[in-house]
Amino acid sequence: MLTEALEDISVASSKVTDLPVIHIGMATCGLASGARPLLELIRKEVEKRQLNLRIIPTGCIGMCHNEPLVDVTMPGRYRVSYRNVKAMTLTQIFDAHFSKNDFAKKYATCQIPVEGAEPYEGLTLMADLPFFKGQVKIVTKRCGMIDPLSIADYVAMDGYKALRKVLTSMTPEQVVDEVTKSGLRGRGGGGFPTGLKWALTQKSPGPEKYVVCNADEGDPGAFMDRSVLEGDPHAVLEGMIIAAFAVGHAKQGYIYCRAEYPLAIKHLRKAIDDARAHNFLGENILGTDMSFDIEIKEGAGAYVCGEETALLASLMGERGMPWPKPPFPAQKGVWGKPSVINNVETLGNIGHILLNGGEWYASYGSEKTKGTKTFALTGSVKNSGLIEVPAGTPLREIIFSIGGGMVEKKIPFKAAQLGGPSGGCIPVDGLDTPVDFENVVAAGAIMGSGGIVVMDEAACIVDTAKFFLKFTQDESCGECTPCRVGSKIMLDILTRITDGKGQEGDLDELVRLSMYVKSNSLCGLGGAAPNPVLSTIRYFREEYEAHIRDKRCPGTVCNELIKYVVIEEDCTTCGLCEPVCPSGSVTWEKGEVAHIDLTTCIRCKACVDACKFRAII
Amino acid sequence: MAETKHVEVDLEDIEKICEEFENREGAVVQVLQKVQEKYGYVPGEALELVGEVLEIPKSKMYGVLTFYSQFYQEPRGKFILKVCVGTACHVRGAGLLVDKVREELHIEPGENTEDMLFTLEPVACLGSCALAPMAMVSGTAYGKLSADKMVSLIRQLEEETVHEEETV
Ligand SMILES: Cc1cc2nc3c(=O)[nH]c(=O)nc-3n(C[C@H](O)[C@H](O)[C@H](O)COP(=O)(O)O)c2cc1C
Ligand code: SF4
Ligand code: SF4
Ligand code: SF4
Ligand code: FES
Repeated sequence: MLTEALEDISVASSKVTDLPVIHIGMATCGLASGARPLLELIRKEVEKRQLNLRIIPTGCIGMCHNEPLVDVTMPGRYRVSYRNVKAMTLTQIFDAHFSKNDFAKKYATCQIPVEGAEPYEGLTLMADLPFFKGQVKIVTKRCGMIDPLSIADYVAMDGYKALRKVLTSMTPEQVVDEVTKSGLRGRGGGGFPTGLKWALTQKSPGPEKYVVCNADEGDPGAFMDRSVLEGDPHAVLEGMIIAAFAVGHAKQGYIYCRAEYPLAIKHLRKAIDDARAHNFLGENILGTDMSFDIEIKEGAGAYVCGEETALLASLMGERGMPWPKPPFPAQKGVWGKPSVINNVETLGNIGHILLNGGEWYASYGSEKTKGTKTFALTGSVKNSGLIEVPAGTPLREIIFSIGGGMVEKKIPFKAAQLGGPSGGCIPVDGLDTPVDFENVVAAGAIMGSGGIVVMDEAACIVDTAKFFLKFTQDESCGECTPCRVGSKIMLDILTRITDGKGQEGDLDELVRLSMYVKSNSLCGLGGAAPNPVLSTIRYFREEYEAHIRDKRCPGTVCNELIKYVVIEEDCTTCGLCEPVCPSGSVTWEKGEVAHIDLTTCIRCKACVDACKFRAII
Repeated sequence: MAETKHVEVDLEDIEKICEEFENREGAVVQVLQKVQEKYGYVPGEALELVGEVLEIPKSKMYGVLTFYSQFYQEPRGKFILKVCVGTACHVRGAGLLVDKVREELHIEPGENTEDMLFTLEPVACLGSCALAPMAMVSGTAYGKLSADKMVSLIRQLEEETVHEEETV
């Protein structure tokens, strides 16, 4: 019974491999880059050429900056990957593969090995591209490789194998032991050992228990969980089912997903339906006496609901206010019953760990942070996207090898913001920090859920700190005064500074308030809200002082402090800047250096962008 | 901001939605989400009816409604321009996009245009930061935007509406 269900599906999926396959990235990043009209074009092209092939929409492979991505796999050959595909390139790709039995050399990015198939000559392997070289893909292994809407694809790549192993040959205690051995720590930001959390829930008395998946991913600049949910939804389900077994036969699971992720929710719905149809969910799962089902709950736009106790309150239809711990969710969670609550990525790792063993997982990573971690690499970095690296990989390698360095070659690196609104900035000197839970904290930030925003010299540190504080201030639930009022006063001071009205003593006041807010807030939101301010004052005190004393913004971001001037030596007197100025502030005569009238200039930056010689700064 | 007309709420519809969730008190957030899906916002009348059906006191209903930023008590435009102002988008000039929409449509964040076609809604992060700056309209994501592209998107949506009206 057990094996039959699995075999049925794998047969279905292996049948199609003798047809050519076209994969197209249709995650949110692909769609935002025009994957949908491109898919139409592909369909037309297939029809026109009367081809018999399979088109598979996939999730995100991580190269978001190169979307739309299209892969072509001919029978018996490696899979060829094309990036930034446009209508024009498409015809040439089709010509090459379907008329000339070749690949389109001009546009191909790399090739991906297919078991038993033959490689193409003169095309780099994906694993050798700088972007992929330092990466180790465990939780994102299937993302971008399979059709997330096909349970058969999932099963063909070892899906639900771990669940079968667990249900047929392991006790809940053994499962918990294996997870403990793996050293896996919560990927939602807190880093609590997952094995220990499960053991605590297991030991909590009572027959009624719950498993909750935290898919709220509220940190701005983070999209790791979205990629996993969209690209490999069954992996999250499998992790939850195994968790349900491990904590002592939980019957009901919830996925709390933020409403900004409509595609993730759609993929999860389909995955749950298919899992039910194949008896991976529901009554007597795979013929055993275990029963478990999963319901999706959509968030309604409150960042604090990512905090576990607030999430539970929201799940039960209350205002999403955090409650003081203890009691911990492992003791009293949903409906007052013991509940295990884990992040998407944490759960996504579970199947891999149980299939390959805890020791295998622990062989990756650093001393105290085992395994891999996904990061959303964004900002002024060349290759922005989703990456997965062994914990402890130096920040420099992430940004300069995998990320390919700065997007504008001439503007150097200034800082990397890690951990979003609860994190901090790491400056040039900290580039060799190994990125794991402990080392990043020592450097003044947090690894958090995995957002890395790279900033170059054109960014303003004070503005960034203000940005995060404004975010937490907006999202404070208002329960504790220090968080609600303290952050407001801090924001006022920062706003004053960026408006050019900063005073001596402002920095000391900020530090004092930070300490007060940190130690007097109930939940992690308030407790970590001052971090972005503290870490930037620590490393970029001069930049704050430039704002306060010299009324100058070195990054030229703070509007009130910007003074655009024409550098005489660089001005070629071309006149391009004059007509673009909406306020008539640029004066220029033929053969003369342009001039900007700062009293009328509205700092729109149009002249700066118009000048091809970087003569206006 | 334009004066807005409120819709008429049908008790039967509300009951039907509540029934979908077996009239469970704990499902109130989801019920309100369904109500908003149906009417585009949560009309005051609907809020009261839901409270009656689920037997939840009025004060608690309001408490829940006002806590979550995604519930609206006023009607909203046909197209919600969700402009991302998250970290990555902020660093890549999301502010300029918001300013452009304000300028083009003469609305402030949270407001509707007079013809009820557009609502400007800055949001925290749409999860496609690699393509910053981002915006999302009616579930469709648009990446690598510029102020100009934002304007053409608005024009395109306007045109589509005109077409629809002509063909009706
Ligand atoms: C303000 C705040 C926001 C949080 N947001 C999230 C979130 O969006 N996603 C998440 O998985 N964890 C979030 N957490 C952490 C959760 O409280 C919790 O630690 C986590 O879901 C536990 O799962 P894990 O052990 O698998 O990481 C947040 C915590 C705080 C204090
Ligand atoms: S610290 Fe802030 S967000 Fe957390 S409970 Fe207190 S007021 Fe609410
Ligand atoms: S566009 Fe640049 S080079 Fe040309 S006149 Fe203006 S400042 Fe000088
Ligand atoms: S920044 Fe804008 S307003 Fe100021 S001079 Fe340049 S174009 Fe004119
Ligand atoms: S910050 Fe804009 S999509 Fe994430």
